[in-house]
Amino acid sequence: MKIFLIFMSAILVNNFVLQRFLGICPFLGVSKKIDTAVGMSLAVIFVMVLASVITWLLNGLLVLMGLSFLKTIVFILVIASLVQFVEIFLKKVSPGLYEALGIFLPLITTNCAILGLALLNIQNNYGLLETIFNSLGAGFGFGLALILFAGIREQLDFADIPKPFKGLAGTLITAGILSMAFVGFSGMIKL
Amino acid sequence: MIFINSIILMGALGLVFGTFLAFAAKKFEVKEDPRLTKIMEALPGVNCGACGYPGCEAFAKAVLKGDAPHDGCLPGKRQGVPDKIKNILEE
Repeated sequence: MKIFLIFMSAILVNNFVLQRFLGICPFLGVSKKIDTAVGMSLAVIFVMVLASVITWLLNGLLVLMGLSFLKTIVFILVIASLVQFVEIFLKKVSPGLYEALGIFLPLITTNCAILGLALLNIQNNYGLLETIFNSLGAGFGFGLALILFAGIREQLDFADIPKPFKGLAGTLITAGILSMAFVGFSGMIKL
Repeated sequence: MIFINSIILMGALGLVFGTFLAFAAKKFEVKEDPRLTKIMEALPGVNCGACGYPGCEAFAKAVLKGDAPHDGCLPGKRQGVPDKIKNILEE
């Protein structure tokens, strides 16, 4: 039961983008079209789940060796390697998506949502199963926020917006309003 | 002792991930135009973006497509890069 609550909480109540304000860079950068948003979300879910599991295991080793202070740098190493692997894989399997994501694919490495997720799993003392479901939830939450926002932005392209609000200004305001909407979920799940 | 343990651990992790990536790069290799590699080797490889493209690989691809002029690489102009590109494309 707790695992299901963790999963739903990561998607809605503590959405990584809209509530924790992590991963804003790809959120604003890849949400112009729904197709790229979906591709980016899948890549992020993959990296998040794998990175969380590997970092959780490595944290066990670090604690055993008394080297907990190396947490940050070891986690970054894991995330960077995983993202590089995703890049290599995508370039071969789907060059179209690879070109569409452009610079934002290697930027997943610096996506604070991934490192934040890894560190949060340790901070909340989650077991392996809880870690997996938290990461799945975080990934899906990220995807949800991204795809929702991409849909909104695609519609906004056709709207008659006053000149000062065109472009990034309007986008940021919209993101804020979307975040406010998600506040409606707070308190729904008490972990 | 902690010092040595840290070095050993980081070194081991680097080795493991490096090997994994090298293996993956070989397995998922994308067959590219051999002229692309030759042009990239002729370029300075600084990725400065002065040519207007995001990195040396992008400029090399544009040259192959015919979108970029041979002398588009600013730091390369002094090193004889335009002539090298001309030779590679004429092969």
